[in-house]
Amino acid sequence: MRFRTSIDDIQTFSRIVQTIEKIQKKCIVRFTEDDVHIICNSETNEGSLQVWCKLRVDCLFSDYRIQSNSENTITLMLSPEALLVALRSATPPSTSSSNTSGYETEEVVMKLAKKNDQAVLSFEISGLSRAGRRMRVTHDVRIDVMKPADVELLEEPRVPEPDVHVVLPPLSKLKTIVERLKPMANVLAFRANNNGKLQLSIYTESVKVDTDWNNCVNPKVQRQNDERDPDELHEVCISLKGFLKVMNSYIVSTTTIACLCHQYCIILYVYIGDVADARGVLTFYIPAMVSE
Amino acid sequence: MMPQDRDQSTPILKASVHDVRYLTALFRGVNFSNRATVTITRTGFTITVEEAHALLAFIFATLFDEYAYDQPGSGEDLDSQSNDGDNTAFEIPLNTVIECLNIFGSAGMSMSTSGSYRKWKISDGGSENDDERNEEHDPTKQKKNGTLAGRGIESYFGGGSEKRTSMRLSYSGPGYPLTMILAEDASGPTTTCEITTFEPEPILDLNFDNSRLLLKIILKSSWLREALMEIDASCEKITIISSPPGEATTIGIGRRRPLEKPILRIHAEGAFGSTQMDYPNDKDVLETFECEKPLKFSYRFAHINRTQRALQNSIKTSLRIDDEGLLSLQFLMPSPQVRTNQEGQPSAFIEFRCLALDDEGLE
Repeated sequence: MRFRTSIDDIQTFSRIVQTIEKIQKKCIVRFTEDDVHIICNSETNEGSLQVWCKLRVDCLFSDYRIQSNSENTITLMLSPEALLVALRSATPPSTSSSNTSGYETEEVVMKLAKKNDQAVLSFEISGLSRAGRRMRVTHDVRIDVMKPADVELLEEPRVPEPDVHVVLPPLSKLKTIVERLKPMANVLAFRANNNGKLQLSIYTESVKVDTDWNNCVNPKVQRQNDERDPDELHEVCISLKGFLKVMNSYIVSTTTIACLCHQYCIILYVYIGDVADARGVLTFYIPAMVSE
Repeated sequence: MMPQDRDQSTPILKASVHDVRYLTALFRGVNFSNRATVTITRTGFTITVEEAHALLAFIFATLFDEYAYDQPGSGEDLDSQSNDGDNTAFEIPLNTVIECLNIFGSAGMSMSTSGSYRKWKISDGGSENDDERNEEHDPTKQKKNGTLAGRGIESYFGGGSEKRTSMRLSYSGPGYPLTMILAEDASGPTTTCEITTFEPEPILDLNFDNSRLLLKIILKSSWLREALMEIDASCEKITIISSPPGEATTIGIGRRRPLEKPILRIHAEGAFGSTQMDYPNDKDVLETFECEKPLKFSYRFAHINRTQRALQNSIKTSLRIDDEGLLSLQFLMPSPQVRTNQEGQPSAFIEFRCLALDDEGLE
């Protein structure tokens, strides 16, 4: 099993990890020849949401070399928090306020290694100090390589054909609104129709708040029976806290498409980079809340 | 009191503002207890918050662009003094209202003026207020908040976003929710909030009788704010000592010895020591100073500290104490236009009334 690559777009990579880190303590990372997948599929997180992220290798990495006995894929489990720490120290100072390292990064190499019988993802950061001296920083992120049998069990959630597809307003805007709603309610009603309408609602004993958008875009999708009333609102009640965590992906998002399966789930496709030339997509499966 | 079957389409109160920041600043100033009583009158409405049966805060707002109160069952009674009974009152959760007003994050998130508070400046202190007023009127100046550090309206609201939330409010009577419709611009989303209203609880009656007035001071809010900021939060009580200017002896001058009878002294005592601050008898500091006779009253500092939010954002403060020690602090708040109503009162102020701690009384 061999794996080694240079990371070109550290900023995007660390922003994605930043989003993931808010959702789950452990995540699965799977490297294939063409793509990197980041998966959160635990049932234990807030609102039991799942993330299936797919990124094109050539958008983030260069000099990418992978070799393994299972069709050249490597699947491992790691703590996104630890990964983020490693990436932060590799982030150029100008683009990240959290970087306190005070050196300029020239190259970041990520490779699979074994140190003291422990498998690690090793990050070798080489750069120049402020005084112009060459320096190397190495971060080892502890990982667990997953057994092929366990990897085979990984499966994206199966969902029925969505009732509504809608392009969401900028996630940063949505996030502000959802943040305000957070102290007031636990359940968020997410409604949309096929005629450009989107509504976020909370309803509690003390307050009812509806926020309406009327000029959203419904992307065209091929559908078997398109006889339905486009004005019919479809609703999914979801965990407000969980949704707020999803909103953290605003830092990488360009376009976001939400698909609603009436009272069943919402699937959120958060595109990284332009949709046409998608560098990657974060897919969030947000199930409807069972009761309440 | 009024028919329950009133149609929701005919609200008894309709009001609107084009910028919710002024209103939100008022609400935030009294946001120390979640339940607030709203009393709607013909000219505006008051919001009353009470704490520990000793502190009462209310705001009086007439800063609406549009305001229509259709009194239930009112005749053509034009005598404004006699229609007190026609006022409508209800209780609302104040926190929720504030969150709703700030739904788009443009109701002025950071209200702190910590980075830009004014220094003690005796020389040009008197002109400061006028500058602020002018800037409020001038929309171009509001926008370049970055260059106006510490001055102008943006210093009250933290500046930042260019967008303003406008709001339309309606209320259909007891049993109906308070409805607010909020929007940033025509193309953006609109938010409709229906806030449950409750029957009002009786409010503590702390009437301030002007005929029993002992002390009346009007000063720029920053003078008071900076004095209160000096006081450690662990302090138990704060004492206000004052005496008429004629009786204030001036032997201390030049020797930095505290005056025997200061015209205004704030004394705070806590576990770690005490703080004492004297104000000079200077028109630049105390715009108005009227003191009938020497007085000394103590208040719980925790109560006085509740005024901080309001004080921070206010322009001027009026401090009054009556012969039983009832303290009234009125803060003139920034408003889109400094208008006055019939009684000549400014359109938006926050008033705190606080009972004195014990009967230390007069000296």
